[in-house]
Amino acid sequence: MDNPLSQNPDSMWGRFFKNAELERMLDQDLTRLYPEPGSYFQKPGCQGILRRVLLLWCLRHPEYGYRQGMHELLAPLLYVLHVDVERLSEVRKLYEDHFIDEFDSFSFHENDSTYKFDFKKFSDSAKDGNGLGKGSVKFSSLGELDPRIQTVVLLSDAYGAEGELGIVISKKFMEHDAYSMFDALMSGAGGAIAMAEFFSPSPFGNSHFGFPPVIEASAALYHLLSIVDSSLHGHLAELGVEPQYFALRWLRVLFGREFSLDDLLIIWDKIFSYDNTKVNKPADNVSNSTFAALSSHRGAFISAFAVSIILHLRSQVLATENATACLQRLLNFPDDIDLVKLLVKAKSLQALAIDANNSTSPMIYPGFYYRSKSVSTRGHSLSLDLTSPRTPPNVVPDSYWEEKWRDLHKEEEHEEGVIGKLHKSRKGWSERVRLRLSRTESDQSSSKVGKIQKDQKSPVRKTLLKDLASQLRSDEDTEKTVYDGDIGHQDPVEVNGQEITDKNFGSMSEPRYLSGNAESEENSSNFSDSPSPISGSNGRQNDSGKSSIASNLSINENDPGPCGTTPECSTLPISDSPDELSLKCAQNDNSLGKSTMGMKERKFLSGKFQWLWKFGRNASEGTSEKIGACEDAKACIGGSVQNIVVGSLTADGCDSSSRISEETVEQNLMGSFRNLGQSMLQNIQVIEAVFQLDRGHTGPLENSSKNGFVGQGQFTALAALEELRKISNLLSEM
Amino acid sequence: MVLVLALGDLHIPHRAADLPPKFKSMLVPGKIQHVICTGNLCVKEVHDYLKTVCPDLHIALGEYDEETRYPETKTLTIGQFKLGVGHGHQVIPWGDLDSLAMLQRQLDVDILVTGHTHQFTAYKHEAGVVINPGSATGSYSSINYDVNPSFVLMDIDGLRVVVYVYELIDGEVKVDKIDFKKTTASST
Repeated sequence: MDNPLSQNPDSMWGRFFKNAELERMLDQDLTRLYPEPGSYFQKPGCQGILRRVLLLWCLRHPEYGYRQGMHELLAPLLYVLHVDVERLSEVRKLYEDHFIDEFDSFSFHENDSTYKFDFKKFSDSAKDGNGLGKGSVKFSSLGELDPRIQTVVLLSDAYGAEGELGIVISKKFMEHDAYSMFDALMSGAGGAIAMAEFFSPSPFGNSHFGFPPVIEASAALYHLLSIVDSSLHGHLAELGVEPQYFALRWLRVLFGREFSLDDLLIIWDKIFSYDNTKVNKPADNVSNSTFAALSSHRGAFISAFAVSIILHLRSQVLATENATACLQRLLNFPDDIDLVKLLVKAKSLQALAIDANNSTSPMIYPGFYYRSKSVSTRGHSLSLDLTSPRTPPNVVPDSYWEEKWRDLHKEEEHEEGVIGKLHKSRKGWSERVRLRLSRTESDQSSSKVGKIQKDQKSPVRKTLLKDLASQLRSDEDTEKTVYDGDIGHQDPVEVNGQEITDKNFGSMSEPRYLSGNAESEENSSNFSDSPSPISGSNGRQNDSGKSSIASNLSINENDPGPCGTTPECSTLPISDSPDELSLKCAQNDNSLGKSTMGMKERKFLSGKFQWLWKFGRNASEGTSEKIGACEDAKACIGGSVQNIVVGSLTADGCDSSSRISEETVEQNLMGSFRNLGQSMLQNIQVIEAVFQLDRGHTGPLENSSKNGFVGQGQFTALAALEELRKISNLLSEM
Repeated sequence: MVLVLALGDLHIPHRAADLPPKFKSMLVPGKIQHVICTGNLCVKEVHDYLKTVCPDLHIALGEYDEETRYPETKTLTIGQFKLGVGHGHQVIPWGDLDSLAMLQRQLDVDILVTGHTHQFTAYKHEAGVVINPGSATGSYSSINYDVNPSFVLMDIDGLRVVVYVYELIDGEVKVDKIDFKKTTASST
């Protein structure tokens, strides 16, 4: 017997109470939607429409229910419809004739089938000629109108003269349209991204990870970030900032809370312009984990946009010391964001995201960020942990050292006996190299860095350069597939590479840096000969909740290019357009440029960092954290300067033995100096940001004695910074 | 869709310890809009418990109530219906329909809710409805020892009232439904 107190949730009364609960939540949210007085959304008409549409959708999809945030997805859609309808009525008023369905200047009543033909009216109007409206503008033909007005008129053409669209927008059907649009958005229209899934707490059917889709999408975001900017990603992971803390809000409302309505509409235009169909993966890698969130162009763009936002806030994020401050930065946007830049950047990252998703990637899961901290003796990235050693290597572009090494071997193929070792024919290499390099702009940074250390030039290189340059513009997908095939070759190759480099560079230990993938596991065993700096630096990186710089530098333990055999291919697009690239970098939006520089600079410095770090570390441990970091950075930067000199010398020396013209060398050097200067500047900025934080925090808190100490340290650090600035200016001028 | 709970004669703590657990699990806050109690709670704690079920509480004074400031009879209007509450020990003979109808005419209500007999009854006559929700705890009365716990939930919807009766028989909650329609929306 169905009674109001029945415990059965499926009973009529049970549903009644559930719906009442739904309505209550909905009403609560609606009152809080854009609550400024006079806002369009608070008008009763609009609220009524929103309420009905949302209620109906939720009742039709009881598995999702109503969640906070759905109203914020619907509101801009309704707003757009409303604006369009208003515009339509404005245009109608002005250009009334074109809207009236007059045939031979008779106007036919829309609904009136029994309209009596009034002869009197007919004769009258015929006499007047074409009756003028109440002062409406008269145009003899449609073609004379402003093209925008034309479009508006044609869209209202009930007779479908324009491609049989019929009436595209009408006031009567505004609510219907809003419902359809909202439904399409939520259900994804059969595509990969269905917004409704972001609201559901249960794991989606296709998910490989078994996590709720929004968590998975946040992980996808982080994955993309780790590809693009692994130090930033590592920093965030260290602080324990799980992606869903901020990504939940971003994804559920499609960035609705971060931007003003007008900006948001632009962003949404871009998002929705992308196709939502799933991009089919070539292989049968069903068992391999890929992100559902990334498997469509639209999804990839959304993730890419999120990553570009994070990158925009890069320096602020890096300067934060704890998770709360970091989240604060991420969740409170400055108002002066340059939207165009962000969108452009997102577009560039989007292709990367699709590729990254299509190729195999190791299993990752939320919470792995903590695990990664314990990867101490591996000497490799923090970002991903691995559930099984068998997982295929990651697609992520590896350190510039790998590329160099690959170039090295590539060169060997062509000029045998130069290095005297490896020989394995690797046709895939050049492609792989190209792939790696063409993947992100950040790769170019490594190429620039490599310039400094080159010694061996060969005619081969020129061809390689040209190849790469062309590859940079070519389709990434084809590269991708080739690349996938070659992944398997990597490991043994790297082993040999390690041996080679070690042989040549005796004193410097060169752990190879691999950003977060299976290779790290397999290679770690090969790095027996350089355990101490690795573990040392790892120890450093593990117990640094410290300054972001230290963590940055310690994360990428790259070999400083021993100025010996490092091949040049990574310096690729050089001869073609060395400056073009640096310019390009400069022209990219600031965040991108910074990240590029940062990456490059980091890679570049890491090696110097290595042997200077030993000195720096001892010093730093004795002092306060920040000071230590500054000294480290200073040491590193100082070391880098030294190495530049060394590098240039060796480069010069090598020039004589090379067959490439010295001009290119010169150009390369110049470019690299400039880049170095820029990267130093960026580093300085980060340090300064840290200082500002520091001053802000410690000023009022510490007692006088400590103040004195800290003040001293600050002074020295600031002085060091000044000097660095000067150096960087010099370099950039060169 | 206004839900009104009618219960009474709990006699806590003298004759019964508490409401039956099955009843308590059904009476969750948030569903019911009004509570009408015929009296004989008897202590303040029961009053507080009923308040948690619904803040709009109307109680009539029973002869064993320790709080003596409750009114002997009370009238209220819910929707289109006028309701009256009394304990029923004043109406003699106890539970007699004609005498109760007299009280109903006196109070000028459509629905009269009284107790004291510890026995569920619901009568309809031309003036309206007389309901006795019985004893919610199943406590004994001076005329009846074997009492099934029961209470009444009224669903007032426009001119129609649906009365759901919940009785605990042999450990199971049995629900019954009675429909009443008001003939005229008279204001007299």
